Amino acid sequence: MQIVKLYRRFMGVMCLFLVVSNGVARSLDDIKDSGAIRIAVYNDYAPFSFVDNGVPRGIDVDIANAIAKSLNVKLALIWMTPGETAEDDFRNYLWKGHIIHRIKADVMMRAPYDPSFSQKRDDVGLLVNELVHMFAPYHRESWQILHNTETLPEVETMGMFQYHTIGAEIDSIPHFYLISAFGGRLRNNTSHYASNGKAIEALEAGKVEAVMGLRSQMSYLSQFVDGNKFQLASNAFPLIGKQKWDIGLAIHTNFRALGYEIGDVITRLVEEGEMAKIFDNYNTTYEKPPYYSAQ
Amino acid sequence: MNNNMPIKKLALSMLICASVLTPVHAVVTDKDIQNDQATTDDVVTYGMGLKAQRYSPLTAINRDTVEEVRPVWAFSLGGEKQRGQESQPMVKDGVMYVTGSYSRVWAIDARTGEELWQYEARLPDGIMPCCDVINRGVALYDNLVIFGTLDAKLVALDKDTGKTVWKKKVEDYRAGYAITAAPIVVNGKVITGISGGEFGIVGKVYAYDAKSGKQLWVRPTVEGHMGYIWKDGKKTENGISGGAPGKTWPADLWKTGGAATWLGGTYDSDTGLLFFGTGNPAPWNSHLRPGDNYFSSSRLAIDPDTGKIVWHFQTTPHDGWDFDGVNELISFDYQENGKTVKAAATADRNGFFYVLNRENGDFIRGFPFVDKLNWAEGLDENGRPIYVDSNRPGSPASSNDGKKGEQVVARPAFLGGKNWMPMAYSQDTGLFYVPSNEWEMDIWNEPTAYKKGAAYLGAGFTIKSVNEDFIGVLKAINPRTGETVWRYNNFSPLWGGVLTTGGGLVWTGNPEGYLMAFDDKTGEMVYKFQTGSGIVGSPVTWEMDGEQYISVLSGWGGAVPLWGGEVAKRVKHFNQGGTVWTFKLPKRYQQMAKH
Repeated sequence: MQIVKLYRRFMGVMCLFLVVSNGVARSLDDIKDSGAIRIAVYNDYAPFSFVDNGVPRGIDVDIANAIAKSLNVKLALIWMTPGETAEDDFRNYLWKGHIIHRIKADVMMRAPYDPSFSQKRDDVGLLVNELVHMFAPYHRESWQILHNTETLPEVETMGMFQYHTIGAEIDSIPHFYLISAFGGRLRNNTSHYASNGKAIEALEAGKVEAVMGLRSQMSYLSQFVDGNKFQLASNAFPLIGKQKWDIGLAIHTNFRALGYEIGDVITRLVEEGEMAKIFDNYNTTYEKPPYYSAQ
Repeated sequence: MNNNMPIKKLALSMLICASVLTPVHAVVTDKDIQNDQATTDDVVTYGMGLKAQRYSPLTAINRDTVEEVRPVWAFSLGGEKQRGQESQPMVKDGVMYVTGSYSRVWAIDARTGEELWQYEARLPDGIMPCCDVINRGVALYDNLVIFGTLDAKLVALDKDTGKTVWKKKVEDYRAGYAITAAPIVVNGKVITGISGGEFGIVGKVYAYDAKSGKQLWVRPTVEGHMGYIWKDGKKTENGISGGAPGKTWPADLWKTGGAATWLGGTYDSDTGLLFFGTGNPAPWNSHLRPGDNYFSSSRLAIDPDTGKIVWHFQTTPHDGWDFDGVNELISFDYQENGKTVKAAATADRNGFFYVLNRENGDFIRGFPFVDKLNWAEGLDENGRPIYVDSNRPGSPASSNDGKKGEQVVARPAFLGGKNWMPMAYSQDTGLFYVPSNEWEMDIWNEPTAYKKGAAYLGAGFTIKSVNEDFIGVLKAINPRTGETVWRYNNFSPLWGGVLTTGGGLVWTGNPEGYLMAFDDKTGEMVYKFQTGSGIVGSPVTWEMDGEQYISVLSGWGGAVPLWGGEVAKRVKHFNQGGTVWTFKLPKRYQQMAKH
């Protein structure tokens, strides 16, 4: 009973009222019978998923809506508080459920699409993510720097940040990168902020000369600052591991039929150009995953 | 009535003489708290005394009578929330107060096991506590039952009704804070630490007026952060921890340095000092933060009146193994060359046992309490570890693109030679009884790691057992010599607290579900009882109606089952539970024990 009550409360927050039996991930048939699909998106993560004046918005929210529409069901968003790794999020939102209220989603957005990750084995040879099926890459992600052209006209290489200041969101990959790469030579010029938004405020206030983040986020945020003064750089990021990687969806491995159906929806969105339009609506750089070029 | 009663009566009459204002009806006073270790008819502090020696002078249950010990009642924590019962019961005037996982509290009739009331904290939807859903117990003061919640609040309940008297937000759970430790009360102040995720938080110690919940002071445990004290209700600056920022940290990393005080603290009335331990520095990768990173992985002595740091002792400077320094520091005295040494001891996650001078934090001696450790060669004359550099986990940034980096084996594993589970000190044998674990970890750079849809070079790790037949070891350790007097090997890791008694017994539980008693001199197991689920709580003993009782929570959970790998295989078949078990001897044995 408690779980059902909590779940209702949780749904109320998202302005969508649904009554379902409980929080378990479900098959395509069960989803269609219930009339709604639960899709998990990250909390407060513009331009992908955020709440704007009480209304859920973002690229992932729009894609989730497109999926629900194609299945002819309503959309119920599950807002994720991220764990330390993608594996934590799979556990909390797809197969085991949230640690307190045990709610699960049917689909999770922004899962990696990377065979070396989905096929990763642990120290005793078992698949690490055997309970999760990762599929349907929908865009290709990368890193980017937004910089102040008045004090730093061009970012030729990361070496510039031995002499110029740079900011990043706390606990993010760029932050770790800036304080660790090149023997820590960029460390003393690096400041960290509670969010990308705060880092951009510091950039505008002249406290730092550049901000590093996900390419999607930097291109999205660049529309809100003076375009003559602040520009997106095109430098490389040596030693960061992956320069580019693909983002897709994840479901519980037991519900492959759901995956095929949603995979077809994503393929259509990508190939008909709808996906690029969704990104464009948020002034966010779009790159098509190579998965579609090969077909 | 056993032979401890006259002392108790004397203490009680002195108490009444000392303060005519002290009401004689059943509320918990500062005196009750200060004397908890000596008084046998109640348990009003976490640690069975503020020093946390977990020693009771009770003798009725002893080597001779223990085999007749039997359960008198069991209380289910019920519902679907069965996992992870790491709590220590409290007992006052025939009522037991226990916490359960998911921030729940019960008052139970200690004679019958019947529920008097239950309180369940309403946890917010977006909460994501870092490290299981456990709670370790309450503090009692006046008519209040005070505990911390997973959403980082302190809640004071009326002891008779379970209704909320006051509630304070200690920190914002959305920033990653939580409270799982039992608070302590020292001279009317309720003092608590804070738990938090790996990055972005700053550890602190907080003091509140126990009766009103008004904040009195806060002391950050990371160098460079300002402490505050409230004077006449006004928040006043009270000195920067460590004097200034950035002395032992690079760039601005001190701003988010970690050092969470997640296990709470102890107090010693001789020196008038609080002792709080601090967690690992953030971020986890030590190559990002060259320097000692004060005051992470340390023990801090704090003045309870002013909230100032009096001394510090850092067990793992520049920690790179997740060796939190939170483990309890237990005050004890011993004689050497005709003099009393005011010492304090701690068994650290890093595998070393430290004996410190508790007046000034000076290092007296230290030695490994685990069978083997490989991250340090030993300790120097100041107690600083002599590192083995090749066994420091590498920097992910230095690995080649796309390849699994070099593997390092570190022993003990990050869960530590001893984790949170409290040890006990016997005033009769002069030995510490330490619940330890023998395990190691492989750490490697992991090229296929993702976080929030972003790819990065992470660290992969796995915990492995070292021996085929055991991980857990209960050890009797002589703090003057470093000698292990006896040991008991346990197949799965030990994760529960220890209790020792004047009856010559050492009590603890194991994940297999047994409550066990050992002879404190020989280590012979003289009693065991299967509780139905793993024990990760701390046992207590007290006297009621002239009989000695033992209580412990059973309910498998905590950090061990959260990690995969080889160790998980040893524990994954253990069933969950959630039961308070209470034991005593049949009445006729109490009569015998008197003589």
